Amino acid sequence: MKIIATVMFAFVTVSLAEAQEQKWVAPRTSDDHPDMQGAWARRGTRIQEANGPVSPLGEFSSTGQPYPTIFNTGVATALDRATLAVQKTGVVDPADRVLPWRPEADAARREFIRHMIPPASLQYVEPTARCVLPGPVDGDDRSPFFIVQHPGSFVLAYEYNHVTRVIYTDGRSHVGKKLRFFMGDSIGRWESDTLVVDTTNFNDKTSLAQTIPYHSEELHTAERFTRVSPNLIEYQLTLEDPKLFTRPIKVAGYFAAAPKDTEPMEFACAEGSQTLPNVFGIEFAPTR
Amino acid sequence: MKAFLASWAMFVFVAIPLAAQAPARLPRTADGKPDLNGIWQALNTAAWDLEDHSGALHTPPGQGVVEGGEIPYRPEAIKKKAENFAGREKYDLAETACYMPGVPRAMYMPYPFGIIQTPKLIEMNFTFAHARRNIIADGTPHPDGFPDFWMGDSRGRWEGDTLVVDVKNLDERTWLDHAGNYHSDALHVVERYTIIDPTHIQYEATLEDPKVFTRPWKINMILYKILDKNAKILEYECVYYLQDEKYGNAKPVVVSK
Repeated sequence: MKIIATVMFAFVTVSLAEAQEQKWVAPRTSDDHPDMQGAWARRGTRIQEANGPVSPLGEFSSTGQPYPTIFNTGVATALDRATLAVQKTGVVDPADRVLPWRPEADAARREFIRHMIPPASLQYVEPTARCVLPGPVDGDDRSPFFIVQHPGSFVLAYEYNHVTRVIYTDGRSHVGKKLRFFMGDSIGRWESDTLVVDTTNFNDKTSLAQTIPYHSEELHTAERFTRVSPNLIEYQLTLEDPKLFTRPIKVAGYFAAAPKDTEPMEFACAEGSQTLPNVFGIEFAPTR
Repeated sequence: MKAFLASWAMFVFVAIPLAAQAPARLPRTADGKPDLNGIWQALNTAAWDLEDHSGALHTPPGQGVVEGGEIPYRPEAIKKKAENFAGREKYDLAETACYMPGVPRAMYMPYPFGIIQTPKLIEMNFTFAHARRNIIADGTPHPDGFPDFWMGDSRGRWEGDTLVVDVKNLDERTWLDHAGNYHSDALHVVERYTIIDPTHIQYEATLEDPKVFTRPWKINMILYKILDKNAKILEYECVYYLQDEKYGNAKPVVVSK
């Protein structure tokens, strides 16, 4: 009897989800776009390639837990759970996760990472260990993200290292080619209910993964944010860097609502970091 | 010609009362609050010295922003301020280490900052050190037991058309300016943002710190809206440039296992 009840319950849940999926529409902002505002925890988007080199940094990685999501706290809707079940994470193209490296670029980065632990010089220090802006593939999933929308802009405020991405959706163009940024220059546009973000003007000072320690200034990304259920935003990232890869690669992830009442806290990084003083034996900020 | 002057004078006469009613035309957000969204910057020399100061090498001269002219230090605190001033090229962490400048100093660093305003959360993103303030305006008080933060814990509320932000949990290592004006971990700042026309905010901050000052005191200044076409906050990764300078030619002391 208990088994029958369980089976029936599962059946009802799925049907309900299907029914909701057909009529669920994301809440709207005052300018009639999907409202994605709130606190979110990100999953996925890490580039873990098949047949890549072993990361020399692996043993130094911190062991924090991913920031909890509403799925951990148990109040997600049936539609959320049904939608979560089909979310992809990580490298999705190429499907076998063997990245389309240019042979000479692959050889160069394999040689580069051999000098990272201990770092042969400042240029071999992992960029995030320098507390600078993380670039296009921030793998940190241990702190929440806050989305704020305003007519003409879409803002991603990371708790991590107080990164703020203001993505203008007011039709403006990219800044001039000479300008180079750690986070690139992002402009967005709405394609129906999906925010599509185009980013150029990257510098070459951030990494894409522990085993992809740099990229070129020709990096170009396209991101897609779609609110697919009450507590889920689907995320896709396409990266193109003709100096590294022969064709674009695609990474998937999602943002799940963070527990209710999550507030942004301060994540200070450079202030007091001892990484470089320890590596070089030279103090960074004077103390007295 | 006389007629022209007369009509001009009339126009001025009529125009002034209209201008005085400017608040009625303030830009407003969907929830009816004054709209502070945009890119702003203080155009003064408070980041160098909050008080009156003459010009010096690398220091533009400026009239002070302290109400009453002088900061009311306790007698024993004046000595530390003087030591800070003497050692400022070494110990002012915002300038010498590119650390986040704290509150209120972030508001008058000589770089633009953005305000992104929503009903319950107001974000400020600063060019300098890519610092950010998250001003929580949902009616909650400062949480108990928080540590001190470089940029403090900010709770906002609206008093009529003025945004009032209460700031606590401020790290005592930040200074108020490059002249060594300082505070302790007891600093409590109350800021008032009053938009006086679409492109100007009257900014006032009251600083209370019984360990350092004899009484609460105020600073006052105007924040100007940046109107240049396509203006946006650009990156100034001061820390990275400084690391390049300090360690670019250094040899690691860490040895291989």
